[in-house]
Amino acid sequence: MRRIIVFVIALVAGAALLVPGARAAEKIRVVTTIPDLKSLAEAVGGDVVDVDSLTRGTQNFHEAEVRPSMMLKLRRADILIENGVDLDAWVDVAVVGANNGKIIRGAPGRIDVSRGIPLLEVPSVRVDRSMGDVHPLGNPHFSLDPGLAPVITQTILDGFARLAPEHRAAFETNRQTFLTRLDGEMARWTQTLAPFKGAKVVVFHPDFIYFLTRFGLAQAAMLEDKPGIPPSPQHVVRVIRQIKEEKIKVILVEPWNDVKLARRVADEAGAKAIVIASAVGAVKGADNYIAAVDFNVRTLAEALR
Amino acid sequence: MRSSPRVGFVAGLALAMSCTAPAAAQDAEALRRELEQMRKQMQETQAQYERSIEALSERLRKLEAHPAPVATPPAPPAPTVVQAPTTPEPPPSTPSVMDLLRRREPFALYGPRGPGQFLFDMGVAGDFVANFVKRSVERTESGTFAGRENRFFPREIELNLFGQVDPYARAEVRIEAGEEASKEELTVRLAEAHLTLLTLPWGTQLKLGQMRARFGLLNQVHEHDLPQTDRPNVLRAFFGEEGLVEKGGELTWVPPLPFYFEGLVGVFDGDNDVAFGYGRIRNPLVTARLRTFFELGDTGGLQLGASLASGLTTDANRNTIVGVDAKYKYRPDGWLHPLLTVAGEALWSRRTVSITSEDPDVVAAEQIRNRFGWYVYAELQPFRRWAGGVRYDWTEYPLDPGREWAVEPYLSFMPSDFLRFRIGYKHTERSRPLLTDAGLSPRRMDEVFLQGTFILGAHPAHPF
Repeated sequence: MRRIIVFVIALVAGAALLVPGARAAEKIRVVTTIPDLKSLAEAVGGDVVDVDSLTRGTQNFHEAEVRPSMMLKLRRADILIENGVDLDAWVDVAVVGANNGKIIRGAPGRIDVSRGIPLLEVPSVRVDRSMGDVHPLGNPHFSLDPGLAPVITQTILDGFARLAPEHRAAFETNRQTFLTRLDGEMARWTQTLAPFKGAKVVVFHPDFIYFLTRFGLAQAAMLEDKPGIPPSPQHVVRVIRQIKEEKIKVILVEPWNDVKLARRVADEAGAKAIVIASAVGAVKGADNYIAAVDFNVRTLAEALR
Repeated sequence: MRSSPRVGFVAGLALAMSCTAPAAAQDAEALRRELEQMRKQMQETQAQYERSIEALSERLRKLEAHPAPVATPPAPPAPTVVQAPTTPEPPPSTPSVMDLLRRREPFALYGPRGPGQFLFDMGVAGDFVANFVKRSVERTESGTFAGRENRFFPREIELNLFGQVDPYARAEVRIEAGEEASKEELTVRLAEAHLTLLTLPWGTQLKLGQMRARFGLLNQVHEHDLPQTDRPNVLRAFFGEEGLVEKGGELTWVPPLPFYFEGLVGVFDGDNDVAFGYGRIRNPLVTARLRTFFELGDTGGLQLGASLASGLTTDANRNTIVGVDAKYKYRPDGWLHPLLTVAGEALWSRRTVSITSEDPDVVAAEQIRNRFGWYVYAELQPFRRWAGGVRYDWTEYPLDPGREWAVEPYLSFMPSDFLRFRIGYKHTERSRPLLTDAGLSPRRMDEVFLQGTFILGAHPAHPF
């Protein structure tokens, strides 16, 4: 038995010594909790960073399963970028399992992009779970609001520069380039959605409040009974009635949600259920940040027409 | 004569005027001064109002610059390339003497805290179980929940406090209350209390305190989080109903390999009455675990593990338990829950037993007992709110001769992530009756379980 244990330890230690040998001159390893932040981190970091995401766009970030493969990514990370506001609180469990002191809460390698974000839907009354899976700090789905990209990228830049101050100038140039492009796209997006200003939409889960607010649209109702609570038949009936009464044209649904139910409700109420990019990579063609926002703007404008 | 009164009146008026003229001049001067003073006060007030209005306007401008959380949206601020604040806001200034003297609520001088800023998380989990068995099982107290047969009882009410201690460590404390066997009383006890040092070098981490030892798949899982109502038979037979809960430390190492690999070594007192009850750190219970994981595409994952525990029993004999485990999950892309989970563990025990003669203090001989047991379960969750599965158990008894097998189908209903109801049926067959404190158990046993579980407040995410 003792021989086996010694053999296993020697084998693993040998492999561990071999693997990181060529890493010295490698890029800064960045891990993000969600793919939206991966796209923004790549925009800021450029060639200096190597970015990976713990989740895919097709997943519900609230309910990500903490897999050992996440711990493997985090074990080798120099920087961890999290969304914060309780969207990705599960990452703490993955970090504890990764044995990497560089990215624990409070360490220089930990970046929380919710800092400086003017959060929406911050409860002004006492909250409890009778309100569903409510976020006491506010709605955490701000990452795909293009108007907040300057704040998020600045937070990412500060975090990168904290660890690699020699690359600050490069990060700033990358960020400016990205934001200049975003500025141009933003003017186009605003123009596209301008005719629908004030239009009401129904959402399945309150993922889109920042995006809707940014472009002057209003969230009239939610298909879920309460955030995170699947719709009950009575609630669905109420929503159908509301859609009919208020002549709402669109139901927005995330690819991971019950798209069939959303389509049934839309058919019943005479509206249209559209699958929207709730994150980068959530739908085909939404492969990066600008493409995801562009997809949402185009899809929404077409449905509201 | 008619004009004399008029003349007298005019003359009197002139006299009066001539006498009061200096006094009126003095009053006018006073009035002027008063007016001047009032004008100055008015100007100061006006200036003050202007300053206030300006401050309010500025505040309003700032508020309007943010998108308002209302259904009717404001005009979107242009996404200009602005420099977001690069430094956090300065801390609130030191209170002045006037601040200190002003009447206030208790702790009003502390900086305002937003919701959730409690510095650590807190949650309560409640787990209630009802079980129904035949009278023969109840009489001999040989059911799965021995001594609580045909009862509805709180199995585990757990207060869980966890969070970051400082930049270097995390801590977790769990206090449990539950109904003990045959007592029909609630006992409150410290279930776990440990800290984890997070910043040790070379990918290591140290956990110290009282904890559920990381042996196999389910030993570290709390009662309310178990995939079935009860712990598998082999774990209850080899480690007792509560499992391996020990005081000591665990050192883990995650080397920087291209695949996930975790190594663990633990050193504990050995306070488990069933397997390792010697209870002295000089002759410790030593545990070890190796764990690896493979992604099988985007939808599947397989975890493999091997565990070892070796220590002295209550009567100072060596007991070594080795286990292997595997867990597979299939979660179709975009699903909020796994569709299929299959998992199992197998344990071998090699235990030295003292055979005493008529005098219990005299050891006549020592015997080695090799025992084996395993379980496997599969769970299907085709809908978000419904899951069903079945577990098969087979185990030998670690000390007594004989073995038992059991099959347990179950169905769970989850209205939300924080509430679950479960119904289960368990059929057990033993190769020979089991001797309990209350007599000989029946060889065959059928049980029905009802379980209700809730979670209040925070609950840490579960690993794979």
